[in-house]
Amino acid sequence: MIAVAVCLLVMLALQVLTPFWWWIMIVAFAHGAAVAKSGRNAFRTGFGAAGLLWLGAGLYFLLAGGRPIAGRMAGMFGLGSPWLMVPVTALVAGLAGAVAGYAGYAVRDALGKRGSGREP
Amino acid sequence: MKTVRAVVSLLLAGLVFWALDNRHGTFPALGRLLDPFTGFWQNGSRVDRIPRKLVIPGLRDEVRVVWDDRRVPHIFAGSDHDLYLAQGWVAASLRLWQMEFQALYTAGRISEVVGPLAVPQDIFNRRFGLAWAAENSLRTMREDPRTREALEAFTAGVNAYIRCLGRRRLPVEYKILDHRPEPWTDLKCALLLKAMSYTLASGNRDAAMTAARDALGEATVDRLFPFFPPLVEPVIPPGTAFEFEGPASPAGGSEAGGTGGTDGEPPASGLPKPPDLLSSGFLRGPGVGSNNWAVAGKRTRGGFPILCNDMHLELALPAIWYEVQLAAPGVNVRGVAFPSVPQVVAGYNENVAWGFTNGGSDVLDWYTVTFKDDTRAEYLYGGQWRKTTAREERIAVRGGRTVVDRVVHTHHGPVVRWADEPPFPDMDVPAGAALRWAAHDPSNEIASIYALNRARSYEDCVEALGMWDCPGQNIVFAGRDGTIAIRHNGKFPLRRKGQGRYVLDGSDPADDWQGWVPYEHVPAVKDPDRGFVSSANQLYAGPEYPYYLGWDYAPFERGARINEILAKARDVTPEDMVRMHTDVLDIRARAVLPRLLELLEGKAAGGAEEKCFEELQAWNFEARAASMAPTVFRELWAELDRATWSDEKKGDMGRMPRPASEILVDLVLNDPGSEFFDDRSTPEREALAEIAERAWRTAVGNLEKSWGPPGPSWKWGKVKGTRLGHLARIPGFGLEGLEVDGAGHVINAVERAWAPSWRMVVALGPEVRAWGSYPGGQSGHPGSRFYDSFVDGWAAGRPAEIVFLKSADEPHPALAGRTVMRGAR
Repeated sequence: MIAVAVCLLVMLALQVLTPFWWWIMIVAFAHGAAVAKSGRNAFRTGFGAAGLLWLGAGLYFLLAGGRPIAGRMAGMFGLGSPWLMVPVTALVAGLAGAVAGYAGYAVRDALGKRGSGREP
Repeated sequence: MKTVRAVVSLLLAGLVFWALDNRHGTFPALGRLLDPFTGFWQNGSRVDRIPRKLVIPGLRDEVRVVWDDRRVPHIFAGSDHDLYLAQGWVAASLRLWQMEFQALYTAGRISEVVGPLAVPQDIFNRRFGLAWAAENSLRTMREDPRTREALEAFTAGVNAYIRCLGRRRLPVEYKILDHRPEPWTDLKCALLLKAMSYTLASGNRDAAMTAARDALGEATVDRLFPFFPPLVEPVIPPGTAFEFEGPASPAGGSEAGGTGGTDGEPPASGLPKPPDLLSSGFLRGPGVGSNNWAVAGKRTRGGFPILCNDMHLELALPAIWYEVQLAAPGVNVRGVAFPSVPQVVAGYNENVAWGFTNGGSDVLDWYTVTFKDDTRAEYLYGGQWRKTTAREERIAVRGGRTVVDRVVHTHHGPVVRWADEPPFPDMDVPAGAALRWAAHDPSNEIASIYALNRARSYEDCVEALGMWDCPGQNIVFAGRDGTIAIRHNGKFPLRRKGQGRYVLDGSDPADDWQGWVPYEHVPAVKDPDRGFVSSANQLYAGPEYPYYLGWDYAPFERGARINEILAKARDVTPEDMVRMHTDVLDIRARAVLPRLLELLEGKAAGGAEEKCFEELQAWNFEARAASMAPTVFRELWAELDRATWSDEKKGDMGRMPRPASEILVDLVLNDPGSEFFDDRSTPEREALAEIAERAWRTAVGNLEKSWGPPGPSWKWGKVKGTRLGHLARIPGFGLEGLEVDGAGHVINAVERAWAPSWRMVVALGPEVRAWGSYPGGQSGHPGSRFYDSFVDGWAAGRPAEIVFLKSADEPHPALAGRTVMRGAR
């Protein structure tokens, strides 16, 4: 859980400070490569951190006046409700974070190095 | 094993990154689009915040922008320069994506955004020479110091806005289509004006009419497309004296002949067509039309003139217009503007009001070209070989190779389509012919609008409109001094009667345009005895006017209905005029339906036909959304029209060009035995009675097939299904299925995709008051609450009273906020 929280905060900081969406993949990859103790752990942490970050942020912007634009976007994707854009956003982020995290772990594993930290 | 896993998972991560970071066909780059920190989530209601203070480089003094509660900006500046710079900034803040998309589309550069799919459209726009035309005009605009200053300041304002946009604040369409705004240029202002010329002044049926003449003979064509058609009441009232002589040679005599009108909207039969990806209709469509009129003070309750205008264009979101007030020393003007062009296009100031309908006179001709050989380097003209010129067009394509096209020009203009090329969907272009189009000539309509914005009298307007070349318009005028007037205004080629109705001979100098109708001679009338002036795109004047300007004008209905109401009107109030904008009486139905019902009496076979007959019998001829009769009449008329005309085609003709509705109305009423009713595919000789019955049967059958048994699904509003499509046809970004009263040939000309794009009623007087509405909203941001906020009021025919301030400090209950703009130190 702490790994998820730390990753999420790092992602949040980088996303607020720079205009790049792919930090969620880089941070998840870094966690997988440096910290995760298993592929499954790297996958889940990446999914959780990125997914939760975009879920929370999406929800925040939806409630802060984002209903009309989310409604239009939902229309574009053929979805019935603006609310559905929140889980869609979270799922895409989760997927990106998860595969990046897993790739990070797999690379480290292939190079034969052990994690520098332990998953609590 | 571990290495394989690492490589595979890395590849997978890379693939996911690539998939989410790139657009695929029309599918957006999901990662960037959904990112809550830079993607669409940033385009929520924050776009509606009114900035209090802004630093805009280039401003010389402070500019104050007062926003009213309809999000209309009222801009108060200390100089023209600051005024137009601020307008550029404000327009971009409301509509940047639309401005750029329209410019790219017009310039034939939309493939850069859309991809290979749009290449044919770009080729058409390049061949047609829209960018070339804009370049020609821009040179003239730059020669005039006032318009040069206005354009440069406007451009600086737009660019100041673009520079302050980070990735987060980019309009959402940029994020979806994955492109970024490029720097704005003066050329893009000129491009928008050329787009309007294309929409309004490129209509032609020269190719089809030539085929019709060759197959049917000129006498038949003249009968079906008379130069002075029945039932049409010209813009300039009959009997108006023209105080000048006609041309010595080219324009011919003037015995009555006839015109066709435009076909109007295609009939609403069958199921709705699926929307295409790209709005080819940004530039054109069958529903171009408009109404305007002015009532003299002697007929109004207030004793001052009232001016009304509604311009019919394709419905779109963002809307084509936005409302704005512009004030600086020497000018205080209110009305609507194109987002891409400085100044107010249609509107009023404290002294005068003006409005437009399309003029429809012929300023486009096709000339056959005889090339010397396949190199197309020389062509025959006046018995000698002349050199062509060529313009190389490079069309950059997103995700594809640059397409290079060599556009060949004769002295007439560009050759738009070659014989080995497929037809363009936009226009029936005769193969291998050169295009002569008035909009290609240098002109400076911006100077005209500049002067119009500052006009204080009719004389000022006449002077201002002398610079208005193209598109030719019926410009209605009313002044606080009591003057009303209307001018069929523009730069019209001098022609022989009928010249340009057919494809012309490009090798014969006698077929060239022989100069221009002098500006002092354009059809105009001031303060006519009848106490009103009006236009609805119909024929400009009767046979007493000595010049020939064209033949293909709007059919009779809207113009006749406007005149019918105004001729009886006394004690007119603005409320009357607001109501008149939503008049839906169908005078075509009123004219022919009693006759048709007489013929169909007792002929109904089956329940559906009986039900339809009863509906028509009980109908008050109003095109109401909730009523079924307009649906039935529309389909019946479409079938009658088809059955009457389509079998007239002979020989190599494609589709038989459709005569205007007044020709068929005239035959129904006065010549039911006409040979044109005879169905040439049968040995018997049919008359109206037989044809009407067949049309009736087919019409009811069509409707049953499309909408089931007669019932609520047949309601006119439902069947018509008015929609405001998004400019780039992004699903979910438009409005679908609005049920709105009106029809193309009634005053309230709301069709499926074409409708009044701005309705305005201006009551002149010591305190000018005005009302307006348009289908859309001030903001072009789909996440804004002002994106479509005017639509309901517009659809219901309830305009808002317009806020027109005397100064930035004037208190007004409808104000919502203020922005103070300053230049950079």
